[in-house]
Amino acid sequence: MSPLKKISSVKELEQLIDRLEKEKRGWKGKTIVVPGGTCGNARGAGNILKAVNEAVEKEGLKDVKVRATGCIGYCSQEPMILILPERVLYPDLDPARVLEIVQKTVKKGKIVEELLWKDPAGKTISKMEELPYYNKQKRMITGNTENLDPNSISDYLAIGGYRAYMKALNMTPEKVIEEVKSSGLRGRGGAGFSTGMKWEFARKAEGDIKYIICNGDEGDPGAFMDRNLLEGSPHSVLEGLLIGAYAIGASKGYLYIRKEYPLAVRTIRNALTQIRDIGLLGENILGSGMSFELEVYEGAGAFVCGEETALMASIEGRAGEPRPRPPFPAQSGLWEKPTNINNVKSWANVTLIMNKGADWYSKVGTETSTGTMLFSLVGKSNNSGLVEVPMGITLKEMIFDIGGGIANGNKFKAIQTGGPSGGCIPESLLDLKIDYDSLTKAGAMMGSGGMIVMDDKTCMVDVAGYFVKFLMDESCGKCAPCREGLVQMDIILERIKRGEDRGGDIELLEELASVMKDASLCALGQTAPNPILTTLKYFKDEYEAHIIDKKCPAHVCKALITYSIDKKKCVGCTLCATKCPVNAISGTAKKPHTIDPEECVKCGMCHDVCNFDAVEVV
Amino acid sequence: MAAISGEEAAVKKNTSKKGSVMVVGGGISGIQSSLDLADAGFKVYLVDENQSIGGAMPQLDKTFPTNDCSMCILAPKLVATSRHPNIKLMTASEVKGLQGEPGNFVVTVNRKARSVDEELCTACGDCVEICPVRFVPQLPEEKDVRTEMNDEDVKKVDEVISNHPQDESSLVPVLEDLNEVFNHLPEMVIRYVSQVLDVPLSQVYNVATFFTAFTLTPRGEHTIKVCLGTACHVRGAPRVLDEIKLSLGIEPGETTKDGMFTLETVNCLGTCALGPVVVMDDEYHMVTPGKFGDLIEDFKSGIAKPIPKPEGVKK
Repeated sequence: MSPLKKISSVKELEQLIDRLEKEKRGWKGKTIVVPGGTCGNARGAGNILKAVNEAVEKEGLKDVKVRATGCIGYCSQEPMILILPERVLYPDLDPARVLEIVQKTVKKGKIVEELLWKDPAGKTISKMEELPYYNKQKRMITGNTENLDPNSISDYLAIGGYRAYMKALNMTPEKVIEEVKSSGLRGRGGAGFSTGMKWEFARKAEGDIKYIICNGDEGDPGAFMDRNLLEGSPHSVLEGLLIGAYAIGASKGYLYIRKEYPLAVRTIRNALTQIRDIGLLGENILGSGMSFELEVYEGAGAFVCGEETALMASIEGRAGEPRPRPPFPAQSGLWEKPTNINNVKSWANVTLIMNKGADWYSKVGTETSTGTMLFSLVGKSNNSGLVEVPMGITLKEMIFDIGGGIANGNKFKAIQTGGPSGGCIPESLLDLKIDYDSLTKAGAMMGSGGMIVMDDKTCMVDVAGYFVKFLMDESCGKCAPCREGLVQMDIILERIKRGEDRGGDIELLEELASVMKDASLCALGQTAPNPILTTLKYFKDEYEAHIIDKKCPAHVCKALITYSIDKKKCVGCTLCATKCPVNAISGTAKKPHTIDPEECVKCGMCHDVCNFDAVEVV
Repeated sequence: MAAISGEEAAVKKNTSKKGSVMVVGGGISGIQSSLDLADAGFKVYLVDENQSIGGAMPQLDKTFPTNDCSMCILAPKLVATSRHPNIKLMTASEVKGLQGEPGNFVVTVNRKARSVDEELCTACGDCVEICPVRFVPQLPEEKDVRTEMNDEDVKKVDEVISNHPQDESSLVPVLEDLNEVFNHLPEMVIRYVSQVLDVPLSQVYNVATFFTAFTLTPRGEHTIKVCLGTACHVRGAPRVLDEIKLSLGIEPGETTKDGMFTLETVNCLGTCALGPVVVMDDEYHMVTPGKFGDLIEDFKSGIAKPIPKPEGVKK
C-alpha cells in the first residue's frame, strides 16, 4: 500500500477512514493471523510466519492475506495461527504442519482435527472464542489485536481508528472530561483513582504549558499487560493520549516505556512516526487549532519509576526518587507544570469510551469498578497469558475456568495479585470478586494486574522473602522506614528460612510492617509490608512450621531440607551422579547411589533428573 | 580565599621571665598541650591560622585504635580551651617572626582582620544567614575533559549527544545510548557528558548508578540475563540462577575471566508465560532447572536451539 498523505482537516480524515473501512468490508478472502509479540516470537512465531508465507506462495493463493500481529493473549499455547473470518485457532503449532493447514483449512475450508486444541478428555474445539480460555473473557481493549498489524496505521484506520479522536474534537474539552468521568473509569495503574477527576484537576490547573504522560513503566514482576497492549495495538493508546491532550489542554506528552521492552519501544516509535506523517501530531492538528507533540522516553530500569513523581524526576534528568505529595502532579508536575499521568491501559480505555460512549462502558463490570481489566495470569496454572475480563468476575473462574486449573495435577495454594505491593489470597477466599475494593479489603490490591498462581510446591515464607528482597533492591533509599525497614525484614525472614528464629520474630515483623505503612514517603514503602502481612494472615501455619518444626512444607528453603536416595527405587543409572554440580553423589553403576550430605548444595538437580522417583526430599 | 587586609600586631614579652608559653597550631595536640600547660599554671597563647581551633579531628568519624567518636573526645576540650583563664586563644593568626633565646622570646604574630568585634560577638550566625555572597562556589579551574580522552571516544560521544536536545532532560537517554556504544560507562565519558550537558558531575553519577541499565565496569562480549520476576521465581528461577553461577563461576553483575559472559539479573521481562526465562544477548530462552548446561554448550558452538516445550502445559 502506498504511504498515506498528510491530512489537514477532520473531513479529509473522515473520508480516508470511510474509504479504508469500505475496502476492508469489501474483502471476502481469508486472513491468516500469526500472533507474535515478545513472548510469541520467543516461542517461534517467526518460524511459523515464514512457513505460512512459503505455503501461501507455494499454493499460489491470491485472496489470502497473511498478518503478523501482536500477541492475542494465550501465551502458553504459542506459537499459533488464527484463520479469519472463521476464527479457527491452531495452537502450539509445529512449523512443519503449517502447509497442511493452508492446504486444507485455508484453501478448502476443512479443519485439521488433530491440530486443534483438546480438553483433558480429548474433545477438540476449533473456534477461538469457544475455548475455555477465551469464553469467559470480554476482549474490549485487546479484541482488535488480531485485526491489525501493529506496524500499519492503515489497518488501524480500517477498523475505525482515530474516529474517537475526531468525536472528541467535535465536543468541548469539558464535555470530554464529563464523558470520561461518567464512564466510571478508574486508573488502571493500580491505585484506582477516577481518571475523569484527575483530568479535571489538570484542566483547571493554571499553567502556560501542560504535560500528559503515559506510564508504561510496568515494573511489577509477573505483569505484562502494558507490553502486550503497546506491542499489539499501539494506536489505540496514542489515540487515547490525543483525546486526553485535547481535554486537558496539554501541548506535550511523553510515553514512558521501560527499556526491558525493546519490541514495545520499537512498535510505539514506529506508530508515532506514522501519526506524525499523516498530520496527527504537530501544530494545528487537522485544522482544529490543537497543537500537540509526543515523545518516547525509555525508562532505564528502576521499579520505583512507576511511581509518578519518581517517573517525572527521571524525565527531568535526575535519579528516579519520589517526592512527597502534595503538590500533586496536576498542580505541579513535570518541570513544575500541571501534568497528568495515566497508565497505558487507562489511555486505551479512553479511546474505547469515546468510541462507544460512557453509558455503554459503565454497563460493563460492577457498580464501583466499571469496564474490563487486563490481567496477566501466570505461574503454576495450566494456561497462562493475557486475560481481559469484566470487573466482578471471581478468582475461582479466573484460575480454574480461564486458567484451566493447576499444572501437573498439583494443589492450588494461593494467588498473588498486585505485584510486590499486593498480597497472597488463599483458597478460602476464591469466591472473591475481582474489583478494586474487594481486593483491597482482602489485604491485596488490584495493582497493575499481575496474577501469579501458586501451588503447594511454593513456600509462602520464601515468596514473602522474595518480595522483600525485590523491594529492598528497588527501594530508592530516600526515606528511612522503607530503606532500613526492608533490610530488617529481609534479615528476619532469612533467619526464619534457616530455622534460626530468635523467638518473637513474627511479632517483630508485624511491628515493623505497621511503622513502614505509616511512615514511608511513597507508595512503594507504604505497601511494601503487604506480602508479609497477607502471608502472615492466611498462611501463619507455614511460618510456624519453619519456626517450631524447623521444616519447610513446600521443600523450598534449602537449610531446612535434605535430599536422599531411596535405595529400593534407585537402579544405579548414574544420571544423577553425572548431573550433580558438586560431585556429592557416589555409587557404582547398577547399584544404588548415595548423597554425601556434607557436599550437597541442595540444588535439587538429582531430584529433577531422576527417572525413577528415587530422590527424596525431607 | 579573598585576601584580607592585615593588621600587624605584636605580642611582645618583656625580658622578665613570666612563664608564659606559646603553642603554635590548634589541632588536638596543640589543644591538649595548652590545657596541660595551663593547668600547670603557665599562661598559654594558642595560635592557629584558621578561624577556629580543632584541626583535622572534627572531620573524622572515628579515632584509632578504639573507634571512639572523635567529636565526643574533642568537643569538651574545645570548650575547656576557650574557657580556661590561663589560655589566650589567637585564631586567624600567623606567626611572622621569632627572636630571642630560650626563656626569653619575642614573637611577632600577624592577626588577620575579622571585621567582627570578638568581644561582642555571640556567634549567633545571623550574619552568615543574610550574607548574599556566601553561596559563591569555590571551584577549581575548569578543565576541558576532552584533553584527557582519545579523539575517537570524543567523536562517539559527540555523535550520541547530537541526537538529543542538549539539556538536563536528555541525561538518561544520552547515558542509555552511550552505555550501548561503550558497553559500559567509562569515567571519562561520564565527565564529558557532565561538561557538555552542563549537569553537575554528582548528578550524572547519581543517575548512572541509580538505574540498572547502566554499568560502570566493562561488560563481557555476551550478556546472560536471568529473569527473577515472580512468575519465574515460583517456577524455579533461583535454582536456574544457582546453576548458572556454578557453571560460569561468577556472581550476578560479574564477568567471566575470559571476558566472554556477563551475568545479570532482571526483575521481570514481561514474558512470564515462558518462565523461567534466560536471555542470551537478545534471544529469549525458556530454561528449566538443569537445562542451562545444554544451552550454554549450544550457544558456544553457535547453534540456535529451538525453545523447548513448556512443562506443565497440556494440550
